[in-house]
Amino acid sequence: MLINLVPGETFLHRLTGTTKVRFFLILLVFIIMSFDIRLLLPLFVLGIVGLISLKPKWNVLKYIFWIAILMNLLNITLFWFVNPGCGSEWCGGGSTVLFRINHYFFFSAETMWFLSIRFLKMMTSLLISMVFVLAITPSEMAAGLYSVKVPYKVCTIFSMAFRYIPDIARDFQSIKTSMQIRGVELDPKKASVIVRLKHNVMILIPLIITSFDRVGNIANAMDLRGYGKEKKRSYYSEREEGTIDKVAKVFYCFMLLFCIGWIVYHHIVPQTVKMWYPFQ
Amino acid sequence: MNKPIVEFTNFGYQYKSQNIPTLQDINLTVYEGEKVLILGPSGSGKSTLANCLNGLNPFSYEGKLTGSLKIAGMETKDASIFAISKNVGTVLQDSDAQFVGLSVGEDIAFSLENSNMPRKEMLPKVLRASKVVGMEDFLMHVPYELSGGQKQKVSLAGVIHDDVKILIFDEPLAALDPKTGMYAVDLIDKIQQENHKTVFIIEHRLEDVLYRHVDRIVLMNEGRIVFQGTPDELLSSDLLMQYGIREPLYIMALKYAGCNLKGNTKLDDVYSMDIEPYREKLLTQQAKKFQKVSLNIKEEILNISHVSYGYDENLVLEDISFSVHKGEKVAVVGKNGAGKSTIAKLISGIIRPKEGTISIHGENYLKFSIKEIGEKIGYVMQNPNQMLVKDIIKDEVELALILRGKSRQEIDEAVKNALTMCGLYSMRNWPVSAVSYGQKKRITIASMLVLQPDIIILDEPTAGQDYRHYTEIMNFLDELNETYGITIMFITHDMHLAIEYTDRAIVFAEGKLVADDAVYKVLSDNTVIEKANLKQTSLYALANKLNIQPEDYIEQFIAYERMMKEHE
Repeated sequence: MLINLVPGETFLHRLTGTTKVRFFLILLVFIIMSFDIRLLLPLFVLGIVGLISLKPKWNVLKYIFWIAILMNLLNITLFWFVNPGCGSEWCGGGSTVLFRINHYFFFSAETMWFLSIRFLKMMTSLLISMVFVLAITPSEMAAGLYSVKVPYKVCTIFSMAFRYIPDIARDFQSIKTSMQIRGVELDPKKASVIVRLKHNVMILIPLIITSFDRVGNIANAMDLRGYGKEKKRSYYSEREEGTIDKVAKVFYCFMLLFCIGWIVYHHIVPQTVKMWYPFQ
Repeated sequence: MNKPIVEFTNFGYQYKSQNIPTLQDINLTVYEGEKVLILGPSGSGKSTLANCLNGLNPFSYEGKLTGSLKIAGMETKDASIFAISKNVGTVLQDSDAQFVGLSVGEDIAFSLENSNMPRKEMLPKVLRASKVVGMEDFLMHVPYELSGGQKQKVSLAGVIHDDVKILIFDEPLAALDPKTGMYAVDLIDKIQQENHKTVFIIEHRLEDVLYRHVDRIVLMNEGRIVFQGTPDELLSSDLLMQYGIREPLYIMALKYAGCNLKGNTKLDDVYSMDIEPYREKLLTQQAKKFQKVSLNIKEEILNISHVSYGYDENLVLEDISFSVHKGEKVAVVGKNGAGKSTIAKLISGIIRPKEGTISIHGENYLKFSIKEIGEKIGYVMQNPNQMLVKDIIKDEVELALILRGKSRQEIDEAVKNALTMCGLYSMRNWPVSAVSYGQKKRITIASMLVLQPDIIILDEPTAGQDYRHYTEIMNFLDELNETYGITIMFITHDMHLAIEYTDRAIVFAEGKLVADDAVYKVLSDNTVIEKANLKQTSLYALANKLNIQPEDYIEQFIAYERMMKEHE
């Protein structure tokens, strides 16, 4: 599994949940707000460094990245397909044709630039999200969300889901096998899609019933230990702010100010070009 | 005399959804530092009583409260569940569901988090509580790595902060193997002694709880207290049988021998009790001649030969060989995680062996699909709710045949047979949701029988059942075995079940088969008991006191019991 339940030992793992969540949210804004390679490229490099520093299990990650790369390549190809000149309006209106296939399909420097930045932006957001997911535990996530004023009952849903999803998956497995013994066919070679769908729905009924039983017990266990007693809550998994968190805080505060400044500036001052294009 | 800490006065409780009160006329005063066992069959109101103590009634299950219940001088009628939880800590039965944290430390800290305690103060408290239950080395472990016993310890650690005065254990032994159960009882005792807590234990496994001293037993039936007093008073009376609670084995042995136990004040512990007054009667009983239980070996149905299962280094099962014959009743025993369930899954074809062969009627089963094996071997899971998918009993039972595309006529006949065998024919059109747990169990068995298998494997058929329902299910299975010659394999850690209802026990420990022999032999073999986390039965201790070979004594006991059952 990708998600850690127990915090790891690397630099990024050791940050508090609050730092991780806040930093991630600000970086998301940072990525979304612009199509500027001067902002995206450094973050992309930092993302790669961050990912390597977490010492993840590459065999799982590999697939995710391959799928993401393929999907994004498909995405930009379609962009080009629909409008081969789509880069012009982003890069100040020019159209420097590099290679023409016929009167409709051509490659222009502006379009290439626009699509590469687009690709870079997608990959950067994927990288940052991966780093975030790998660096945080669900409990830290709950604590972090709580620190940005999300009500703690909502935060609890996060950690609870991670706690009980594996249990429910196990229930599903045992119900499935008991149904297979009775003759339910789930083998794609032996049953049609419709039959398999019907049989899977059949498995859901006992799954829902057993899950409801469980929910009742969980609610009791929480009530008995005073869940919902106070308006505020503290978190066992949220370590005290360390030096690295304080340093990180300076960084993300600075970035937040930068983001606000950037957005405000781009809204007040009319922009002639939508995208920074050095070869204009 | 200590101060009273819990005072029920003319107390009653009626759930909003019920027409009659579930609890009535409860008058019970418990003093500080007392250890009270609340005993009673299912539906006697013992869980309701516990839930009134911890505040779940009426906080979570609405209802009307009459009379008065004072906890540490506080009238609970006006108190919130949070105020009550300052004094009362509860360990629920389902140790899995109540583990709400993502790590041991987090779960222990849960109530502290809810009080918004700063983390700095929380850490030492969590460490202290974890030391009390001996889990301090596991603080960073996730719930999926823990055994049932460990999860229960964590639950206990999570409720002993703030020096709660009262601890409630709701069926603490239900999911534990015999030895782990013993440790749990011991731990409860230790905590009660060292921290001067008042302890309530809700259980129907009397003999296991009596492993450590209990001050008082409260026996409940139909919402009322029918007895309260010392264990000795209860054990020497006939009340246990009358209210459907299983008597400890040694008490049964004494009663079978016709000993009069009235007035004996040291009955609750087989090790320290004085058996001299009864020696003569017990020896006379032992000298009687009964028809011995003999293993009547018929044709072999199932053969398991040198089977291993697991991944390279981690073999879950290693080199297992045994065979099962027609009409046998076999118990598969061992601690949780020893490989019992894995062997059941292997036999029913859900998983296939890595090495070795399994053959059914001499045919290698690898060539059969799960579906085909299901026609020869029925597997009944522990929780019937995980198996029931239809609304009407008849639909549920015929499902397996419909999925196999049998003709209507064939189906009707097979369903009628299966329902008749299970005593459900008159209920065939009832909704599944309207029947009791025991009947649901029968439906799941009927839904397997309909395929006319040679063997039925039952996973913990009696888990969570009180003695009455337990007897009902087991007698029914006995009947299936005797009348219809169906071979039955039980996966269980209930030694009583093995003694009473099976002829042969196959014992697993750490993925290996450590014994395969008659039940009385297995239960008298100390090395096997040790390896498999089983518990010596009290008959063993009794035999030692009488200087009789335990093997002979247990065999004689089983023979007598079988004879009694046949005469019923």
